[in-house]
Amino acid sequence: MTALIFISVFLIAACGLIYELVAGALASYLLGDSIFQFSTVIGGYLFAMGVGSWLSRFITRGLVARFVTIELMVGLLGGFSSSLLLLAFAYTPGFRLGLYLMVLAVGVLVGLEIPLLMRILRHRFELRDLVAHVLTFDYLGALGASLAFPMILVPKLGLARGALLFGIINAGVALWSTYLFRDQLPRPARLRASCLLVLAALGAGMAGAESISSLAEASLYADEVIFARSTNYQRIVLTKWKDDLRLFLSGHLQFSSRDEYRYHEALVHPGLAALPWARRVLILGGGDGLAAREVLRYPAIESVTLVDLDPEMTRLFSSHTLLTQLNAGALTAPRVRIVNADAFPWLEQAGGSFDFAVVDFPDPTNFTLGKLYTTAFYRMLARRLTARGAVAVQATSPLFARQSYWCIVETLKQAGFQVHPYHAYVPSFGEWGFVLASLTPYRPPDKLPAGLRFLTAAALPQLFHFPSDMGPVQVEANRLNDQVLVRYYEQEWSQITP
Amino acid sequence: MEPDHTLKWGRLSACGRPSGRPLPRRRFLSAALIGLCRKTDRPIAGSYVNESDRPGHRLRSRGPLRAPLEEVRVPLVIVGGGMAGLSAAWRLEKRGFRDFLLLEMEDRLGGVSRWGENDITAFPWGAHYVPVPGPRSTLIRELLEDLGVLAGGHFQERFLCHSPQERLFLHGRWQEGLEPVVGVTARDRDQYRRFEERLEQFRATGQFTIPADRGARPSPLDRISMADWLRQANFTSPYLHWYVNYCCRDDFGALAEDTSAWAGIHYFAAREPEEKGPLTWPEGNGWIVRRLEQRLGRFVRTSALVHRITRAGPRLRVLTESTAYTADTVIFAAPTFLAPYLIEDAPPVGGFEYSPWLTANLTLDRWPRQAAEPAWDNVFYDSPALGYVVATHQQLGRQPERTVWTFYWALAQGAPARARKLLLDADWNYWKAAILDDLARAHPDIRACVARIDIMRMGHAMIRPVVGSMFSEERRRLAALDGSLLFANSDLSGFSIIEEAQSRGVEAAERARRRLGGRP
Repeated sequence: MTALIFISVFLIAACGLIYELVAGALASYLLGDSIFQFSTVIGGYLFAMGVGSWLSRFITRGLVARFVTIELMVGLLGGFSSSLLLLAFAYTPGFRLGLYLMVLAVGVLVGLEIPLLMRILRHRFELRDLVAHVLTFDYLGALGASLAFPMILVPKLGLARGALLFGIINAGVALWSTYLFRDQLPRPARLRASCLLVLAALGAGMAGAESISSLAEASLYADEVIFARSTNYQRIVLTKWKDDLRLFLSGHLQFSSRDEYRYHEALVHPGLAALPWARRVLILGGGDGLAAREVLRYPAIESVTLVDLDPEMTRLFSSHTLLTQLNAGALTAPRVRIVNADAFPWLEQAGGSFDFAVVDFPDPTNFTLGKLYTTAFYRMLARRLTARGAVAVQATSPLFARQSYWCIVETLKQAGFQVHPYHAYVPSFGEWGFVLASLTPYRPPDKLPAGLRFLTAAALPQLFHFPSDMGPVQVEANRLNDQVLVRYYEQEWSQITP
Repeated sequence: MEPDHTLKWGRLSACGRPSGRPLPRRRFLSAALIGLCRKTDRPIAGSYVNESDRPGHRLRSRGPLRAPLEEVRVPLVIVGGGMAGLSAAWRLEKRGFRDFLLLEMEDRLGGVSRWGENDITAFPWGAHYVPVPGPRSTLIRELLEDLGVLAGGHFQERFLCHSPQERLFLHGRWQEGLEPVVGVTARDRDQYRRFEERLEQFRATGQFTIPADRGARPSPLDRISMADWLRQANFTSPYLHWYVNYCCRDDFGALAEDTSAWAGIHYFAAREPEEKGPLTWPEGNGWIVRRLEQRLGRFVRTSALVHRITRAGPRLRVLTESTAYTADTVIFAAPTFLAPYLIEDAPPVGGFEYSPWLTANLTLDRWPRQAAEPAWDNVFYDSPALGYVVATHQQLGRQPERTVWTFYWALAQGAPARARKLLLDADWNYWKAAILDDLARAHPDIRACVARIDIMRMGHAMIRPVVGSMFSEERRRLAALDGSLLFANSDLSGFSIIEEAQSRGVEAAERARRRLGGRP
């Protein structure tokens, strides 16, 4: 009997801490800045517990019934906390407010638990023993929870189902208490029915958690979301799994840290290494600074102008340690100038000319992005180049979106460039296509900068050979008044994605 | 329907785009969660603007006008600074004839091509596009070449309407293109195809040309309405009827039931665009007006309300409030129905019926929440109005957060005089509510987006090509006048399109030049 009572204390303490950890972890995943999130969640939670403890003095009668009811409420609210917050994040802008309301509500309820329990038990034990035992098991429960959370709960169950499991434990303790303290409970049947009801709800939640979390954005990504922010222009999401850091812009994968070097080396070096006289480089898009990192390998390059629409993006990649490690601090390098502007009007208005340009825009998924792949855009870009200048353009996959790829090639050609299509294999993307577009004849370089992990000068010419399943197809050029590319792209990718 | 077939202006793609976009974030959910009350509809500012009918009405009521203070002698006066008058001036200046003045009653040039501007963008008040001219439309091509729109045989891409051009709100969702494709049956599609074949036959006759005079032959088609013609040719598809009716309302301000079948067919059969178009600019055809104004400004007198034109021997006296012009020749490029009110012993002008129009420019502080990307021209099936055009659509970059929509409404229903009375009697609040109700069909949150609605009413916006009017003897006679008084408004052609205005203006300029001894 005594043992069972203290096991209850252990369990409800564990549950209380789990909800706190769930809130802290969710906030860190979804909002970033884990120090701030954990600090405010823990502080808010402890404060709310204090409020709960203070409120307990107003409960004078029917202590056991009240205790059971509170257990059920904690179980319900805490158990569903993670699912509710994930949904709030996916579907509302009010995640932060929801988070702190949840923390306060669960905290107040959890704060009520131990004072009530101690008052229920005060006739069974000496005060001295009671305080010592209850608090011992309370802290032991916290230890158990804090170890189980990172080692078992998150990896095995995930946050949504983990929280639900502990909600079930809370409700279980409530049911169990109706037997433990039946001598102090006038009408246990009704309470037991409530317990069963709550258990059933949480059990159903457990079963349905898969589909709940599939509604939530976090589950769109295979890996843990470590950063997510909606800017004026897009949704930036970073995920991390072991050493693989991935960037998604509005749901589209931009790079995986495990193989991005293949993509960025292929994007920059076939063109830039062939222009040893180049001094001024323009990068359009590429706010992740990874193309800039490759450009900065050339000591002869005097200036890099990087034009990216989204200031949040360049700020993030200039400041976040994980990301500046990846781009080698390219965005804060003295040779790099960042311009946050819309590339098309910027090209029209900006002065200056460039020896080499890297065009690294997201794929043409809509007409707004499609404008950046038109003859009008490329003609304007050509005017910003010096006489022997060249451009490297990321051009989607020649294998999965063959028409789209060759449409970009055709568009550059009709805009007056000599085109040199090439491709490389990037595991996280698959077979990927690029176009080198030059104003004068082009020959692949004999020499590449030191320190590359993928490209070699000897293997470079192979990139320009296309196997027959990705070879040229008859397509129209993409024009402002007839954006065929967006149609090709949508049609082709819809065939291979569900 | 083949995606490359030609209806209206240019190639209309008929393939509906699946809306494979993620669900919008459900903001209402969060509002409920946070406990905020729903944002109530904001007050919307605005008024009637450019009340062009006011000075015009003073003319017609012959109200007290001051006697002119100054006498000016000039060989040629052009009355009216719309596209016809400007085209006359354009031709004269190009041919080196510079002894002329152009008088415009308003403070700004343009007529139905006038434009406005606010801190977001320029926007049109009327005519807002030029269909891409075919190789035989040499006159309009010459103008576009002069303005740098056409260079080396290619139209500047940025001036061609950007994708997506048009969309239609039909059965609760947006489809690309204006020809209905959502919910149409095989029979409808079959009729679309047959309609297209019939148009191809009409095209082949060579009678439907731009300008119309070049190929037009009196035809029995002018004796029935466009709707009658559809029925007689066994076109029963309600979608096709809607589409044809929409086109008549859009281009002529008239219902298909009232439009001459000849004019209706001309609309569909006369153009052979070589490019997906049309040509358009943020301020619509106001862009052309601005460019012509830069070039011709020195000949222009704005706020010059001509209230009387009298004979003085072989010459004409053109009276404005400040000046009396004595001219050897006058090109009357203002709407022709004004002639009897202004001109002493004016030739008879009967049978000119005009469509009343309303144009509204809506300033939006944010875009309505919607899944699809807005097109340039956005039309609602089963709406009495014509939809809206996005003034910022032609910007090269992304669409800005704030924008301007130009909402068009031809009051085609019923007799023009009654519609005109409704237009002029109703107050601004009436039209504001009507416009917002119409837009709310597809944009339920429109009232929370709009900050301002300015409305321009045009009682006589364009000539209405009613049944039996296309080969009017009276109009032909007016157009053919070759004395000291020349008529040049596009209404002489029976329908108001930019090519007609231009060719009428140029034709009158040539006659004036011959008369005044200009070099051939």
